Amino acid sequence: MAKDLIICRCEDVTEAEVLQAIEQGAATADEVKRLTRAGMGHCQGRTCRRLINQMLARQLGQNVSDQRTVTQRPPLQPVSLKVLAESES
Amino acid sequence: MANTSDVIIIGGGIIGAATGYYLAKAGLKVRLFERGYLCSGSTGRCIGGVRQQFTSESSIKLMMRSVELFSEMGRELGTEVHWHPGGYLFLAHDESKKRAFLSNIAVQQSAGLKDVRWVDAAEVRELFSLVETRGLLGGSYCPSDGQAYPFAVVGGYAGKIRELGGSVHAFTEVAGILQEGGRAKGIKTAAGQEHYSNIVINCAGPWARDVGRLGGIEVPVEPERHEALITEGVEYLGMPMLVDYRTDGGYFQQFRHNGQFIGCYTPQPNVPGTSSESTYGFLREMPRRMLKLVPALGEVKVIRQWAGSYEMTPDGNPIVDRTGLGGLYVVAGMCGHGFMLGPAVGEAAAEFIRTGSRGGLLADFALERAFSSREAMK
Repeated sequence: MAKDLIICRCEDVTEAEVLQAIEQGAATADEVKRLTRAGMGHCQGRTCRRLINQMLARQLGQNVSDQRTVTQRPPLQPVSLKVLAESES
Repeated sequence: MANTSDVIIIGGGIIGAATGYYLAKAGLKVRLFERGYLCSGSTGRCIGGVRQQFTSESSIKLMMRSVELFSEMGRELGTEVHWHPGGYLFLAHDESKKRAFLSNIAVQQSAGLKDVRWVDAAEVRELFSLVETRGLLGGSYCPSDGQAYPFAVVGGYAGKIRELGGSVHAFTEVAGILQEGGRAKGIKTAAGQEHYSNIVINCAGPWARDVGRLGGIEVPVEPERHEALITEGVEYLGMPMLVDYRTDGGYFQQFRHNGQFIGCYTPQPNVPGTSSESTYGFLREMPRRMLKLVPALGEVKVIRQWAGSYEMTPDGNPIVDRTGLGGLYVVAGMCGHGFMLGPAVGEAAAEFIRTGSRGGLLADFALERAFSSREAMK
């Protein structure tokens, strides 16, 4: 695959950067996220999460099912400050 | 021995990483243990603000040193830490706050912080036209305060610890402190591995009390939950960190490096404990408070909310000291200022641990103290 293949499209993180993070010792998607920002952008990892878990499994010789999941947080999709501020209690 | 090092650090947040870096830089072999991933405690949940506007001379001077260290950090650590002196503006909406800020400014200036000053509402409007100035008297403004990116800072320190011959052990919980003849001799991990060192440093942040107890030492640190949120990135608008101390106020800033707004407020009453659960109440309330200060941000979208711990001491000042167990040190209790204090506290703590000299900067931070004065700008 091309080195500049984008894995996290929100934060423009490439495959090469994810591989480098794994080489630097990242063994979980949470660590890859903190090192590269993959999964920290607009979609909060909805696109790249599975790809990163697959890459981790492949690089570390593990099964995808053994990978730790990352923490999901609200809101489920981006919501404007105005809509939130005007929401009812 | 394979499992022997000069120093063992418990905690992979900013305090453990910075203290470890300065000890490694001085030639000591450092082994750092973190229960989760680096930054998985408080540091990775903070909003990345760095300010020198405090009320005690020791905190002001430490923070002035931290700002120096942040400004050199990219070069020092060989990595981009996104330091940006975007300033901090503390807002005053009533006379008593204004008086308090004016007297703080006098203390800060006499401590050497020359660029802090009072700005009246008209000047706030001129400097930062998006800030709502209706009902505002003015603010305490320090343009050399700033921001940095916590994950990059801790990652940078950890990388240097490794480069200097030390090691960083993530996902490795410390379950015991080994002792012999009234001295710390190392640690035992939850998996039962023993690591030996004559110096063990408790940098466990909100969990500093639990780690202290492993060595029979009481560390008066109480965690409190603080919630935060972050928005999508938008064009950088050049505003400082805004701090509104009113009971319905909060604090937020925009990262220059990616345009995201990040903010939080202090809950009333406080929420004890290390829970990182977030609430719908905060998700509704924080945007209200942000838009009250900067109405133009209405269309900016929130993408995530979370919570983390402040690690409070009774007087709002850190603890940096040796303990009753020989070889066991504590560097904790940063009271919500760990990220900003980290570089200077790490440097001073490393100096103290190597030489026994506390220097002037750590004078107020003894483990055994009256805890009677209070840091007002918390």
